[in-house]
Amino acid sequence: MAAKDKEKIKNAVQKRKREHYVPVKPINQLGFVHNNVDCIGCRACEIACKDKNGLGPGPRFRRVQYIEGGTYPEVYAYKVNMSCNHCAQPACLPTCPTGAIFKRKDNGVVDIDSTLCIGCRRCEAACPFGAPQFDPVDNIVKKCNMCIDELEAGRKPYCVMACMMRVLDIGTIDRIADGTLVTKAVGPNEEVTRQVKGMSNPDLTNPSIRFVAHSKGKVE
Amino acid sequence: MKEPKDPLEFLETSLNVNRRDFLKGSAALAAGSLVGIDATREAKAFAYEPYPRDDELTTVPTSCAHNCGSRHMLVAHKKGDVIVRLSTDDGRYQKDGEFGKDTFEEPQLRACLRGRSYRSRLYSPERLLHPMMRVGKRGEGKFKRVSWDEALTHVAKEMIRIRDTYGPTALVDQSYAGASYGVLHKSDQIEGLLGRFMGMFGCRTNSWSVPSYQGTTFSSRITFGTIEDGNEDDAFAFSKLIIMWGWNPAYTFHGGNTFYYMRMAKQKGCKFVLIDPQYTDSASTYDAWWIPIRPNTDAAMMAGMAHYIFTNNLHDQDFIDTFVQGMDAGTMPDWAQGQENFKDYILGNYDDQPKTPEWAAEICGVSADDIKKLARMYATTKPAALKASWSPGRNAYGEQYNRMAAALQAMTGNIGVLGGCAEGVGKAWHAEAVAYPYDQYANTWFASIKSDRWAHCVLNYPNVKREEIGLWPRTDELDGVIPNIKGIFWQGSDWFNQLTNINKEIAAINKLELVVCMDSTITPSGLYADVLLPIATHFERHDVALPWYKGHYYIHRPKVIEPMGESKTDFQVFTELAWRIGGEKFGRTYNPKAGRDYFDNPDPVDEAYLVDWWHKVQSHQGVEMSWEEFKNTGSYKFKLDRPHVAFQDIVESRMQNGQWQTSSGKIEIFSTQLAQTKDFTRTAWGYPIPAIPKWIEPWEWLGEKEKIKKHPFHMISPHPRWRTHSIFHNIPWLRETYDQELTMNASDARKLGLKTGDTVEVFNDRGKCIVPLYVTERCMPGVVVLHEGAWLDLDQEGDDLSGNPDVLTLDEPSPAGAFAYNTVLCDVRKSDKAHRPGWDQLATARSHVFRRDL
Repeated sequence: MAAKDKEKIKNAVQKRKREHYVPVKPINQLGFVHNNVDCIGCRACEIACKDKNGLGPGPRFRRVQYIEGGTYPEVYAYKVNMSCNHCAQPACLPTCPTGAIFKRKDNGVVDIDSTLCIGCRRCEAACPFGAPQFDPVDNIVKKCNMCIDELEAGRKPYCVMACMMRVLDIGTIDRIADGTLVTKAVGPNEEVTRQVKGMSNPDLTNPSIRFVAHSKGKVE
Repeated sequence: MKEPKDPLEFLETSLNVNRRDFLKGSAALAAGSLVGIDATREAKAFAYEPYPRDDELTTVPTSCAHNCGSRHMLVAHKKGDVIVRLSTDDGRYQKDGEFGKDTFEEPQLRACLRGRSYRSRLYSPERLLHPMMRVGKRGEGKFKRVSWDEALTHVAKEMIRIRDTYGPTALVDQSYAGASYGVLHKSDQIEGLLGRFMGMFGCRTNSWSVPSYQGTTFSSRITFGTIEDGNEDDAFAFSKLIIMWGWNPAYTFHGGNTFYYMRMAKQKGCKFVLIDPQYTDSASTYDAWWIPIRPNTDAAMMAGMAHYIFTNNLHDQDFIDTFVQGMDAGTMPDWAQGQENFKDYILGNYDDQPKTPEWAAEICGVSADDIKKLARMYATTKPAALKASWSPGRNAYGEQYNRMAAALQAMTGNIGVLGGCAEGVGKAWHAEAVAYPYDQYANTWFASIKSDRWAHCVLNYPNVKREEIGLWPRTDELDGVIPNIKGIFWQGSDWFNQLTNINKEIAAINKLELVVCMDSTITPSGLYADVLLPIATHFERHDVALPWYKGHYYIHRPKVIEPMGESKTDFQVFTELAWRIGGEKFGRTYNPKAGRDYFDNPDPVDEAYLVDWWHKVQSHQGVEMSWEEFKNTGSYKFKLDRPHVAFQDIVESRMQNGQWQTSSGKIEIFSTQLAQTKDFTRTAWGYPIPAIPKWIEPWEWLGEKEKIKKHPFHMISPHPRWRTHSIFHNIPWLRETYDQELTMNASDARKLGLKTGDTVEVFNDRGKCIVPLYVTERCMPGVVVLHEGAWLDLDQEGDDLSGNPDVLTLDEPSPAGAFAYNTVLCDVRKSDKAHRPGWDQLATARSHVFRRDL
C-alpha cells in the first residue's frame, strides 16, 4: 500500500471516530458562573490556580480577560473570567489521539490524563475558548480540572475559594442557568447569560459557564 | 479546625445539590460501570502525578505580611519542611468555623494575588540565604559570602567607630513596613525593632515623615486629634453615596474586605463617584460616575464644592455649631477673633476671590456644572461617605487636600454616622499591637528628619538649614543640630528604590561609610549595601498578624518551615549585635527574655513574648480563648456589637466640649496649633502652613504654563496591585499578569505617533526611565500613569530600564511632610532602548550576587 493511501485511511478512521463520538452525559454537570461587572479583576483566582497546579509562568488555566471601550470620558470596562468550561460537547476530547482527554460521568468535568498526553496540542487548537494550555517544561497539555481533588473532598475549587469579591462560583449548570443556585456571584435582580460579547459561539460546544454580563457586553 | 465528616454531604451543601438527586446520581454511576462504561478508559483521577491532595498534606494557617492595606489569611499545605501550595481562609480556621462560613460579621479573609504568590517569593532565586559583604563598588552588585560572625563583627565595629567619630546622629534609621504588622517581629519607621536597638545604642537619626500618607496623617491629627478616624470595612455597606476621591480599592485594599462590603452597598442601591485622572477598575466595578481631574488640584475642586454648599445653604449648621471650630465666623474661638475662618475664605472675603465652582473649574479641569452636581449630591444624600484617599495627598501641599476633605465631611454632617466617613488616615479598630519589648527606648532618637531629605542632608552637610530637612525640635542641646549622616540601616525597607529622586540618592550614598541591608531577598537597595543580612520571612518565625488599619481579628503565624539557608530574624540579629556591642547589659536590656543563645534558639523566647501579649489581649479585649486554643484554631475574629464608625459615640451624645482629641476639643477646621505657631522654621514642618485649609498652587502641575512647554505631561505613580510597593516585583507569576507600563490617553498618543506596545522614555531634568506604553481612553489627556515600585535597573548612561517613576520624582516634601510623589511634570518620546521587566532576565547580574566567591 502506498504511503499516501495509509495516510488517507488513517484520516478516514479518525474522521469516523470524530463523527461517531458521543459525548458523555454527566449525571450532574457542574459549571462556573462569573459576574463580569462586579469582578475587580484582581486575578487572585489566576494565581491561586497556578499555585495549586504547580505551573510556572506561561500556561494559565484561568484567564481574567480585561475588556474596555468607549471614548474619553465616556468609557466602560469589565472582566470576563474563564478557565475550562467543561463543555457538554467538548471540542477538545475527540481530537485527542491517545484518549488522554476524558469527561467524567458524575460531574461532567473534562480532564486530561497526564500519563497519556503526548503534547500534540490538537486539543489546544480545537478549543474555541483557549482552555488547554501547553506546558513547555513538561511538554504536555494541561488544563483546569475544576480541582477535582477538592470536589471529591467536598470543597469548591481553588479559584472560587480565592475570589475576594465572591463573584466566581460553581454549581450545577442547570441551576445556575435557571437562577435557582444560591450564590453570591449573582446579585439580586441580576440574570445570567450564556454568551457575552467577544466570546465564541456557545453552540459550538455548549460550555458549562454563565455570566452576569455588563450592559456593553450583552449579546442580543 | 473542623473537618467535614461526610465529604458527600459537604459537597452537596456547598453546591446546593438536592440530596436525592445526588444519591440517584451516585447509584446511576455505580450501575453505569456495570453496563458498559469502559473502566480501562476511565483515566486517572489527577492530571498530574504524583499529586498530593490537600488532605494528605500538613495544613498550617498563617497570614500574609506586607504593607499593602489589608491582612489576609494564608493556609500553607506542606510536606515535610516544604510548602507545596497555599490556600486561604475558607471559614474553617476560626472559632465555630466550618468550611464555607462567610458571614457579614465574620467574613473570610481571602488573600489577594500577591499573598497567593507567596510561595514563589519564599523560594525565589532572589532569596538571600547567607550573609554577604560587598567586594565591588556600591551599586555594582558584587558581594562575597561571609559568616554571620564576620558580618556582625564588621557591623558592630563600624557602628561604634561611626558613633564615636561623628556623634549620635550619624546613623539613619530607614526601617520601614516591609516586615510590618506582626506583634513581635516588627519593622517600622518609628517604633520598630531597629529604632529601639539604635536608640539604645546611642546613635540614631529617625526619619519621621511617612511616604504613603504624611499629608493625610497631618490632616487627621490637626483636624480630629487622632489618626483613628476610620470606620471598619463593614460600615461601607451602609452608605447611600460613596465618593472615591483618588481611591481605588480594587488596587489598594484599604481593609481586608472593604471592596466586598462596597459591593453589598451597590446591591442596596448606593451610588458611586470616582474623582481620579484614571477610570480605574473600581469605577467599572461600582459603575461609578467618573470625574477626571487634573492631578494636584483636588483642594481647588473641593473648595468649589464648599462654595456651592455654603451659598445654597446645604450645610449642616447644627453639626457645625455643635462640633466644629473655625468653619465660619460664629465658630471661631474667642482668642482668634479677626483671624481667617474657612467660610469667609471660601466666599472670598479675604482675597476678593470667591472659590466658586467656576473658579475651581479653571484650575482642576472639571466643569463647574459637574462640581455643582457633585456638591449637591454629597450634601443632600444621607449618609454619604467621602473617602478622601491618601494618594492625592502625596503632593505638594497635599495636606491641604485632606484638610479640605475633612471640612466637606464636617459641613455636611457625615462624621460619626453609619454610612458616613471621616477618613483621612482611616485607622479604625484598635488592635493590641505590641508583643516586643516596649519601654522608654522604643523611639529614642537624636535627630529626626523628613524621610526624603537624607540625601539632601548628606550632599549639603554642613550647609543645611533645619527647615530644609524638617528637623524635629528638641528641648536639649541637640535641637537644631544638623545630623552628620555617615551610615544607613535598612530593615524591612527598600527605601533606596522607593524614596524620591533616586539619582540624588545615588550621589549621596557614595559618601556614606556603612550601609546595612536586612532583607529576605536581594533588593535594589541591597545592591547599594556594604553588608547584606539574610532575614527569615514570616513563614520562618513565630508571630501573630494584625489587621492593617481595618479589620478586627488576629491571625496566628506559626513557624511554618525552618528558616531557609542561614536566615535569622531581625530580632535575633539585633539581640546578637547588642550582646556583641554592649555585653550582657545591652543584650538583656534590649531583649529581656533572651540570653546569648537566642541567636541559635529563638523559639522559646518568642513563644514567651507572644504568651504575654495574648494575656494582654485577654484582659484588655475580653477574649476568653486560650493561647493554646488560638494556636490550634489559627485565627481569632472579633464580633463587634455594631459596625465600628469613628467618632460615633461623640456625635450620638451631642456633647459640645472636650470630646475630640484636639486642643479645643472640637473638629478643628481652624487649627489652634497652626494658628499659634509663630516661627515655622522651629517646627518639623519648616515652612508656613495656613490655619485653615486652602488651595495652594503646587510647584509642578498642568496649570504651570511655562513649565508645561518643556514637560507637557503630569505623571502620577499610584500603587500597583501586583506588587506591595517594591515587594513581589521579582515574582514571574505576577509580572505575567501585569506589565510595568506607562498609561497614556489615546489622543495624546496619536499626537505623538505612539501606540500600545511601543517602548518609550519618560523623562524630565531629574531622570529618565524606559517602559512599554499602554494607550487607553481610560486616562485623562495630559496625564501619564506609571506605577511605583519597579526594581531600579540602570544602564551605563544612568537611565532606568525597569520603569521606576522615582527617577523622575522630586525630593522636595510638602511643608507638612507629604512626599510629593505625584507632583511631577515630564515628557514622553519613543525610545531606542529596551525595557527590562525584571532581574530574572539578567542571569549574570544575579550570579554576581549569589555565586561569586572571592
